[in-house]
Amino acid sequence: MSSSSCKTSEFEAAGFDSVGQDDIGGGGVQVTSFTELVDDVTLHFQIIRLPKQIYAWIGCNSAKLGNLYAAAHTRPSNTVSVTSILGGASDNTGSGIARRLVLKTGLNVIVACNIPKNSPMLEANAEKKLVEKLIALGHSRSKSPAAGPVLSSS
Amino acid sequence: MGGLEQRFPVPYKSLSLDIKGNTTDFVICRYEDHFLVMATQIGTMGTILHARKEEGVTVQPTFNVSVIFGKRDEPMLLAITRQLIEHISSSGSSMPLVLSLGLKDHSMETLKGIVSAVMENRLW
Repeated sequence: MSSSSCKTSEFEAAGFDSVGQDDIGGGGVQVTSFTELVDDVTLHFQIIRLPKQIYAWIGCNSAKLGNLYAAAHTRPSNTVSVTSILGGASDNTGSGIARRLVLKTGLNVIVACNIPKNSPMLEANAEKKLVEKLIALGHSRSKSPAAGPVLSSS
Repeated sequence: MGGLEQRFPVPYKSLSLDIKGNTTDFVICRYEDHFLVMATQIGTMGTILHARKEEGVTVQPTFNVSVIFGKRDEPMLLAITRQLIEHISSSGSSMPLVLSLGLKDHSMETLKGIVSAVMENRLW
């Protein structure tokens, strides 16, 4: 693996229905893009894995950014808080996903989601696909200390 | 299955540079209605800023730049954001920018390094 200090990887994904592309860019950033067809709806996913945070974008039939949410564990209590940081004033589509991603990964999470409001089934399907991919990439927190996938470090 | 090849609708670039001794990771994405630029030295997105062009009555466009998450007391972050949105606008695009900056230092040299790295790898 090259260790030059300036490495550029330009990437324009091309793929069919559910082919995924991974790109380990410079440093500790891993970008994963994929598209799934669920119930006649095209869902695009983009996961940017930073060393201490995950950014995820969910596009429903379009490539608009959508509403942005930030979620994190709030100490000292063991709860997860989520806040809307762009758009999303009257609908919370995506905020639940952000919260549950923190629980699943143990990391701070930023979620961008353009799923239309009042689509709980779509939201649930999108979350399911996203979590499947996160587990496959090794980003989910293992429930038992011994077995299971651990947080990827690179 | 049809033979239709579909490109992932969000083109992006990802790179890593050394700026003033700090490894800086960049991700630049082009959504349908926003540009997203991330520049981080700290392993997280850091402070998130939003910038958009306001079409006014006068010929000169004005820009609205604000912090939407994180440090609100570091003017250098707003300065970077403003430089980038002005460049986006002068390149002909009216799309707003979401910029995340997770920086270890906020010096002029770092500012220039970030701006020039983003310009060289821009998607507008």
